[in-house]
Amino acid sequence: MKTPVTPGATESIEELRAQTQPSSELGPQPSPPRPFGLLAEITYRCPLHCPYCSNPVDYPTSRPELTTEDWKQVFRQASDMGVMHVLFSGGEPLQRPDLPELVAAARNVDLYTNLITSGIGLTPKRAEQLKSAGLDSVQISFQGDAEPLADSIAGVAAHARKCEAAQLVRELGLSLTFNVVLHRQNLERLQRLIELAEELGAERLELANTQYYGWAFANKELLLPTRAQLEEAERIALAAKARLRGKMEVLYVLPDYYGDRPKPCMNGWGRRYLTINPLGDVLPCPTAGVIKSLRFDNIRDHSLHWIWADSEAFNRFRGTAWMPPPCSSCERREIDFGGCRCQAALLTGDPANTDPACALSPHRGNLTQIVNHVQESLEPNGTSESRALSAPGWTYRTNPVAPLA
Amino acid sequence: MLEADRTRATDMTTDFLDQPIDSGMRLRLSPKARVRTDKISGKPALLYPEGVLLLNPTGAAIVELCDGQHTVAEMVSKLAIRYNSPPDRLSVDVTQYLGRLRDRELLEVVPEAKDSP
Repeated sequence: MKTPVTPGATESIEELRAQTQPSSELGPQPSPPRPFGLLAEITYRCPLHCPYCSNPVDYPTSRPELTTEDWKQVFRQASDMGVMHVLFSGGEPLQRPDLPELVAAARNVDLYTNLITSGIGLTPKRAEQLKSAGLDSVQISFQGDAEPLADSIAGVAAHARKCEAAQLVRELGLSLTFNVVLHRQNLERLQRLIELAEELGAERLELANTQYYGWAFANKELLLPTRAQLEEAERIALAAKARLRGKMEVLYVLPDYYGDRPKPCMNGWGRRYLTINPLGDVLPCPTAGVIKSLRFDNIRDHSLHWIWADSEAFNRFRGTAWMPPPCSSCERREIDFGGCRCQAALLTGDPANTDPACALSPHRGNLTQIVNHVQESLEPNGTSESRALSAPGWTYRTNPVAPLA
Repeated sequence: MLEADRTRATDMTTDFLDQPIDSGMRLRLSPKARVRTDKISGKPALLYPEGVLLLNPTGAAIVELCDGQHTVAEMVSKLAIRYNSPPDRLSVDVTQYLGRLRDRELLEVVPEAKDSP
């Protein structure tokens, strides 16, 4: 499971609405807004153990995984609500034997199907089945540019198999996105990572600085980069973006712990996207489970439309009426929507606070304290040279204790 | 772009991006993109990895002609008849629109069977 923000979708939808339609054609925004994308986390099981995973550290285990029929029903309902994209994710979606059947069901209701995978389990036979089912695009995550670093981050020997999976995707003529989550242990391999994406024939490259949720939040002391690393990475990413224009789309997800303004998380709460976790809980974003004060309704108890439009959880932070100062009077409140509710919960204890990723947040100090602590411990002389890359003592992601049947 | 980078940008797609849309080009949608009708607005929607483009009627008419068969000039002629517009004026709009789609990497140039004179 990669980071929860999907910048590509966000940019594309917003830009295109702005560019292709004069505002007079848009008319009043529907209330509630219509969803565009569904993140379908079909299982939490994963053969990888990445320490930056955004899955919950405390997996919910109150119910079994949704069945094939449950998901088919979800796709029909989502399509009727105007959803156009489904992103199959997890965990590792290839762990579900019924994945081709689920892809076919999503295609059957005209959804654009994206597979977000580690690549592990993508055998030639499986890939053929998925293509026949109508799979539109594949995103494979990489942890590094080569062994042994890549495998040490994944916690398992995976890198070589990922390269094979990427080749398979291209041989089948499917669109390939190369995704890498960036952090202190792999940022300095960025140039080589970009070259690997080129060698593998990727059409899109997502360079995603770690977002600190789930396992990543637990491991943040070992993942947070130095400012010098980030400056160099940004330079490399921008050069690649210019050089590869027309060959490969390069997306660089900014590290929001180091910025002054928060990301427009999910493009607003309950505004464009919804997530369904393996148990069938419907959430405004994949990490919203950290907000313990909210109860997320389950697709087995309610219709998707009711949950989206009427449930308490989806309405709690929708729009701008819930906002505290300084968001409530901020001219950017319809641009970044007060940032991320999960980040506010993690860093301030209250999801209704302004995201401390904003320099105007009264709780900004909570974030700068974390960042400064890392910087000071790494750069005692004010230089970026003293970093220990070997043997990080992080906590690898584990799978749910009780297998969900 | 840095000089060192420029020397590496030699493949056809990059050349395509650096030149204006030519009236003789035959364009087609990238295989990763497809068009469907948006159930909410009834408008045509162009879908591609993690993105959606809601098309206005003119945009949809242009996209429909990106089939690898029509040259840009032929597209303009057809649209001029359909919308009863002067081809000269239309040509500018169509070229701009195609340029925007190209910048999103949603179009491909169909290679010519033989070299143009």
